[in-house]
Amino acid sequence: MLHSERKPDKLRSLGILALNGMFDEMDAVGVLRQAAAEILPGDVAIVSSFGADSAVLLHLVAQVDPSLPVYFLETGKHFAETLAYVETLKSQLGLINVIAIHPDPADVKRFDPNGDLWETDPDSCCHIRKTEPLEPITEQFGGWVTGRKRFQTKERGVLPHFELTSDDRIKINPLAYFTDADVNQYKIDHGLPEHPLFARGYKSIGCAPCTSVVAEGEDPRAGRWRGLNKKECGIHFDFNGAIASPMSAAKFTLHKDGAFIADPFHAWEDGDDAASARYKHIPLPVFLESRDAVLANPHPMGLLVSPGDAIESVEADLGRFASIAIKFPAFSDGRGYSTARLLAERYHYANEIRAVGDVLQDQIPLMRRCGINALVVTHEPTRQALVENRLPEVALFYQPVGVTEVPVGTRPYLRRAH
Amino acid sequence: MYRYDEFDAAFVEGRTAQFADQVKRRLSGELSEDQFRPLRLMNGLYLQLHAYMLRVAVPYGTLNSRQMRKLAHIARTYDRGYGHFTTRQNIQYNWPRLKDIPVILGELASVEMHAIQTSGNCIRNVTTDQFAGAALDEIIDPRPVGEIIRQWSSLHPEFSYLPRKFKIAITGSPNDRAAIRFHDIGLQAAANAAGDVGWEVWVGGGLGRTPMIGKLINSFVPNEHLLAYLESIMRVYNRYGRRDNKYKARIKILVHEEGLETIKGQVEAEFAEVRGGVLTLPSEELDRISAYFEPPAFPSQSATRIDVARELILDPAYGRWLEHNLNSHRQPGYASVTISLKPVGGAPGDATDAQMDVVADLAERYSFDELRVTHEQNLVLPHVAIADLREVYDALVASGLAEGNAGLITDMICCPGLDFCALANARSIPIAQAISHKFAAPERQAEIGDLKIKISGCINACGHHHVGHIGILGVEKKGGELYQITLGGDATQDASVGKILGPGFEADKVPGAIETLVDTYIARRQSADETFIAAYRRLGEAPFKEALYGNG
Repeated sequence: MLHSERKPDKLRSLGILALNGMFDEMDAVGVLRQAAAEILPGDVAIVSSFGADSAVLLHLVAQVDPSLPVYFLETGKHFAETLAYVETLKSQLGLINVIAIHPDPADVKRFDPNGDLWETDPDSCCHIRKTEPLEPITEQFGGWVTGRKRFQTKERGVLPHFELTSDDRIKINPLAYFTDADVNQYKIDHGLPEHPLFARGYKSIGCAPCTSVVAEGEDPRAGRWRGLNKKECGIHFDFNGAIASPMSAAKFTLHKDGAFIADPFHAWEDGDDAASARYKHIPLPVFLESRDAVLANPHPMGLLVSPGDAIESVEADLGRFASIAIKFPAFSDGRGYSTARLLAERYHYANEIRAVGDVLQDQIPLMRRCGINALVVTHEPTRQALVENRLPEVALFYQPVGVTEVPVGTRPYLRRAH
Repeated sequence: MYRYDEFDAAFVEGRTAQFADQVKRRLSGELSEDQFRPLRLMNGLYLQLHAYMLRVAVPYGTLNSRQMRKLAHIARTYDRGYGHFTTRQNIQYNWPRLKDIPVILGELASVEMHAIQTSGNCIRNVTTDQFAGAALDEIIDPRPVGEIIRQWSSLHPEFSYLPRKFKIAITGSPNDRAAIRFHDIGLQAAANAAGDVGWEVWVGGGLGRTPMIGKLINSFVPNEHLLAYLESIMRVYNRYGRRDNKYKARIKILVHEEGLETIKGQVEAEFAEVRGGVLTLPSEELDRISAYFEPPAFPSQSATRIDVARELILDPAYGRWLEHNLNSHRQPGYASVTISLKPVGGAPGDATDAQMDVVADLAERYSFDELRVTHEQNLVLPHVAIADLREVYDALVASGLAEGNAGLITDMICCPGLDFCALANARSIPIAQAISHKFAAPERQAEIGDLKIKISGCINACGHHHVGHIGILGVEKKGGELYQITLGGDATQDASVGKILGPGFEADKVPGAIETLVDTYIARRQSADETFIAAYRRLGEAPFKEALYGNG
């Protein structure tokens, strides 16, 4: 049955504002029942991560209708504890319609052959493992139940019970007004089992690589994509912008693979701990002082190479870094070009080599030829030039610089392949 | 000479389009002057005292008539009817308008010319012996290797933002006419034990405020490894050259401060990594480029000698021109002719559009369509049949280009000085003009013989004063211009840096001071065959100092 024909009428006749006004702040069961039985009967489903506080929502579902479809995004990157928890909740709550969604194996093979996409490009990782697999399922339902809560992050501070999405679907948030304390109380009141990792400090649990422990008093979702300028996984973006606003484009400062993306890395700061830092470019001299700690640090790390730093001194450790940032303190300081070539050509460093600092459009073609494959750009005309793909470039090369082949038709002695 | 193929042409077109876009962005205000500066500099565009100045590259100083006519056309159409040939074998225009620059570059591209890397902190135009491919004393024509270096260094992505500018000179003759020991890198043709021709590599020479004679860093680099070796030097310089002080940023300072052995060790370590890699030059490629520089098919000449002594009697001016302005050619019956751009009272190195057209015509008619620019700011017709010399001379006379003073006291190198240059402390062209008036009499010049005067209007030494037999340096003292005199400089294989003789002179006293030095030399020389520099080396500075300043 296609529901999309009647759904807008129904929504419009009710009015989303009126709908939101019908329920008491804490009347989670009422909200869910209204949606599942009155507004969109047979047209509502749930996506659950089976995370630290998923039990509350699933308990509500079980009360309203244990046969409501519950989709679980089996990203392939979950903690084993999460997979066990799925089974625990299914049996304890009596849920009879839990469906696992898997990423397209072709996508995984193509975009994440080594399983490390989360490290280099978490947005894309979420995309192939969550957004893409969910999309065809989303189309089948006019209403979706989520476990999102206002208190969880700043961006969700105005989250209502009912949201109208940009594609005329309805998003139902029964727990919108629940606080952390409400959730805990609810769990106690109903004897709900804890996620096995909750006691170990995980407050918001997603995929294993992108989830870390949250400190006391910290935003519970701070442990998600820690160190990244990333708060949402992408599947919540498609809602009324006033509620779950995506990051503004200006925050996407990293230009890579033809697009500006959120930069997973943050600047190294005084006081950062080499043993536990994540997604930081540790300055080369600091790395040399704390080499053992960095090598033992399990998290993704980058290296910051400034002019004058001897890249030779870290040759053996280059493989430890997911990204190497080459500092251009002024565009006129050309030492970074030599550093980049040594990395790319002599040391065969194949991960991200990014230019940071005074990165301007007129130097970018030279940087790229020397092996730089990512750029942190703040200069607005340069951003525009990149977006519009109109760099001032001479596309013909007289020198065999870099790791790519100089095109046929150029000087024979300047081509790499003789 | 070298001719662009499609690749070269497309490359220069691409660069012209790129710079046209940058000019557009500057005119629209999108680019600030700070951001535009390095971009315009890499395209040869300076902001001078009064206007923009465009410097056009003449790779290894070689031109054909079509190119020279285009240079004349640009002088006529976009400038004030003249151009200035420089010590880098280039030509610069002093009055172009910014909005015309892209058009001018387009005009240049149409004759296989450009302004790429004629300024900025990058590898500059490669210079060489003006008699390359013609001189009797030559081991090998250096221009094919010069062309390969030009290509390798053009928009090199690693070496476009060096600590400072970088100049390479190359000579194929043991008699160094390209001042290779005063360049960042100097290349001198040399044969190894097996008789193969390769290159001595000299590094760390330069003039400027800290003159240094280049040091031999490698006595033989074969052609196949030359680019790899050059890239090794460049990488060491790019990484370790000083960037904290622009006056200490040239490679000469790095070599001086670190010591040749340290730098040599770094270069050799780098060379060990890159040697035999992608920069290896296949002999077929060198052969392919060399084919462009094959000597013309010289028709055999019945006249293989000219009696200069006889001509001196019949027509002294012509005789003097023959005596001084010819260089021995490897082909019997031919000579290389120096066209002096140093007329009495003129601005050294300047040529009008009409003169450029005349020279182009002469090249086409008498010199197998070839021309050279010399680092001493003259022009050369490299391949003139001895039988044609009189016709060439007569045509030059008609255009005011027949000064027979090559190598003489009035054949001065002179920077533009305070009349044009934003960096200058003192005027230099008027000093050159005053000296040339003082020594205008041809007999007097002939009596003095070979004597190189070089004049700079500031410490940056664009007029090469450090290597003048007599050097003149303009300085600013208490708001006025003073001129220091140095003696004993030499830019050739017997390289030496001149020494300051004593306190400076005011402008109007300079010609008299030079005359005193010259008179002292003539009085003390052993014979007319002992040149000024030879006499100075034998006598030391004392008699000259005493003549100028007294013995108090």
